Amino acid sequence: MSDTALSESATAVPSTPSTAPTIVARGVTKSYGKTRALRGVDLRLEHGEILGLVGHNGAGKSTLMRMLAGIEQPDDGAVDARERRAGAAWNADSAAASGVRMVYQELALCDDLTVAENAALSDPRPTGLWGWRGRAEQRIGTALDTVFPGHGISVLRRTGELAMAERQMVEIARALCTDALSMLILDEPTESLGVDATAQLYAHLRTLTRRGVSVLLISHRMQEVLANSDRIAVMKDGTVVETFAAAATSESELLVAMGGEVRAAGADVTAPRAADLTAERGAIVATVRAASGISFEARAGELIGLAGLAGQGQEQLLNKLWGAGALSRGVTVPRRRAYVPGDRQTSGILPLWSVAENLTISAMRGISRLGIINGRAKRELAAEWIGALKVRGDAATPITALSGGNQQKVLVARAFAADAQMVLLDDPFRGVDVATKNELYALMKAEAAAGRCIVWYSTENSEMAHCDRVYVFRANRLVSELSGESNTEERIIADSFDENTGDQR
Amino acid sequence: MTTTIQASARPGLAGRARVSAVHGFPALLSLVALVVIFGISVVNQPGILSVSGLTLMLMSAVPLVFAAQAQMLIMSVGDIDLGIGALIGLVTVIAATLLAESPLLGWGLLVAIVGVYALLGLIVQKRGVPSIIITLGMSFVWIGLGLQILPTPGGATPDWLTAIGRWRPDSVPAPLVFIVVATLIGWYLARQSRIGSRMRALGSSAPTLQKAGWSLAGTRVTAYVLAAVLIVVSGLLLASQTRSGDINSASNFTLMTIAAVILGGGTFSGGRALPIGATLGAVTLGLITVLLSLMSLSSSLQSAAQGIIVLAVLAGRIITERFTR
Repeated sequence: MSDTALSESATAVPSTPSTAPTIVARGVTKSYGKTRALRGVDLRLEHGEILGLVGHNGAGKSTLMRMLAGIEQPDDGAVDARERRAGAAWNADSAAASGVRMVYQELALCDDLTVAENAALSDPRPTGLWGWRGRAEQRIGTALDTVFPGHGISVLRRTGELAMAERQMVEIARALCTDALSMLILDEPTESLGVDATAQLYAHLRTLTRRGVSVLLISHRMQEVLANSDRIAVMKDGTVVETFAAAATSESELLVAMGGEVRAAGADVTAPRAADLTAERGAIVATVRAASGISFEARAGELIGLAGLAGQGQEQLLNKLWGAGALSRGVTVPRRRAYVPGDRQTSGILPLWSVAENLTISAMRGISRLGIINGRAKRELAAEWIGALKVRGDAATPITALSGGNQQKVLVARAFAADAQMVLLDDPFRGVDVATKNELYALMKAEAAAGRCIVWYSTENSEMAHCDRVYVFRANRLVSELSGESNTEERIIADSFDENTGDQR
Repeated sequence: MTTTIQASARPGLAGRARVSAVHGFPALLSLVALVVIFGISVVNQPGILSVSGLTLMLMSAVPLVFAAQAQMLIMSVGDIDLGIGALIGLVTVIAATLLAESPLLGWGLLVAIVGVYALLGLIVQKRGVPSIIITLGMSFVWIGLGLQILPTPGGATPDWLTAIGRWRPDSVPAPLVFIVVATLIGWYLARQSRIGSRMRALGSSAPTLQKAGWSLAGTRVTAYVLAAVLIVVSGLLLASQTRSGDINSASNFTLMTIAAVILGGGTFSGGRALPIGATLGAVTLGLITVLLSLMSLSSSLQSAAQGIIVLAVLAGRIITERFTR
């Protein structure tokens, strides 16, 4: 086991007991077009610490992370790394050479390559012409076994065949396949991980810091950051506004520093225009008959939640509602529907288009006559929604210049801007910050009150409190229907598991 | 470390075989089609079950297999080469004229072709020109050059090349040796080497490859250069069989190689490379011609028959994939 990543990094790093800060950012600024992502960031990452980095979407976390990893250069200011040789620029190559590794939120794996090949791609260590494959299998296998014992992932499988949680494990493990790891940057590493794997990951981060590795942990999960960091830096509007010692702060204090609201709902959003809807409130607009269990029914003016453990059939129901046509049996749906996909990168945004074009693509019926789009109506519609949802950036901004949370706002606005009777949301708020979520919840409620029917799948049970009715899924069936008093998080969790055996099916 | 590391992090042989079977599954139907066609041919003409019979039957597939491996490399980075047939024709022309008359100039031209391919890869990567446009454009250049050098089919290949074409061992059919060699080269380049995994990574997800610190341009240029070398070899082997040069001798190779890669489990979107599948696809398509002449069907039906078999295999794959899921 002498050539494994983890034992190598164990021996390589503490040999120089330097305790200078691993990396220091001073007055770093960065702009993308008109959007100012960073406006003078000061951040210091000490030797052997876990620094939590929290902030709303668009606060500049991802940009700062790319600066620290040397992938992008600051417009102004400087990034000083302990490992950097004097006179050398801090870029992707020198960062990689000094043991900086990054775990991306949008997983950076090639679906068509095997787990071992993916690991070899990002492993900077030289390997021979022959036998590199075996060595790569050995290294990634050992890394997986060390961090996630009992992971059950075959290193020969293509990563495209793996489940989301397994891919996340591979992404984390392969960052550890390196010599002399000095800094590990984790961007939302536990978003798709289960409870056990999350605990395993944090346990391993502690063994890494004991060897002197510095960890930058970016997460929206306040409890995890509080429980596992040494210090927590809070970002807001492109600067680090405050740094707390994790032991001496609380979730509400962090939320206040981030500028977020602690209350669950309350952001006031007024829908730009009353939807022109034909169905009356309370009329049944969609049904899905089920052979067993409860049948799905949706009325106009309702906000319906789909809950349960991930992958129990919620997405299939949304697909049925979205893809239903004249030939589908047992499904009735309104003619005009809109859909908000969960994975904005692959099936959401049109990356070459501007914000306005992305926003109005579904609303063409309303703003065109005889197939010709009315340019002014389009711009007005886009401006209304950008104002209502406080999207950062104007209508002409390229969509890719926006942060992830703002892109998600545009996608939600796209669905509501269309004159659809039924809006389907496929877990659209993964990795979206609290303030944005509150705005979007308020929007959804306002739109439902205006007579639309909204069907919303979410993996976060606490969000279901906003719904008028909730269907709980288990093993591809609807097992319960909750509303009013019975719609509680405890009840959803109880119904998500089999009451008889207590097992997840 | 509190956790115990398992003795073997690497999977065993059984796991390896199972995963290979799953990954190679798309090529299986191509194998079925090949066996069926071969079976029908044997029933019609039992004489082919001999070394000389197999040699005659497989001979036409040899250049096609090399060309299919080249196309597979290009398709693995997500591109398509529409100039492959014209270029093979040009190589036969060069082989039958300049390579015999002034070897230095001939070899220089062949090396220049490889250089042009490197340039094509660079342009596709840096300027974002779609590969089908640039290779289609180049195919006209190749045809023009070929007609300039040798307006009508003819010429004579150098002796050493003719000797390769004449090589007939008694124990094994010579074409089978070439086909196996081509497959091994393709397998090493695309699946076994590090550059091969980078090429597939480029076709699968270019941003990921870039994040991992590799040059996208370098990877694409390498893929094009390796493909160009295989194309030149394919052209030389075709010339060694015909012993003459003809710019139009391989014009149907372009679409046949693409069909072979797809039959063998490749995808248009890139990221996949199945060398054994590509070989099976190419041999299947090559054998259809032989089978039709054995059944004394009109050769004008050849293209139609090839198309029907490609469609049948692809439809069969979709159906079986649905059942196995």
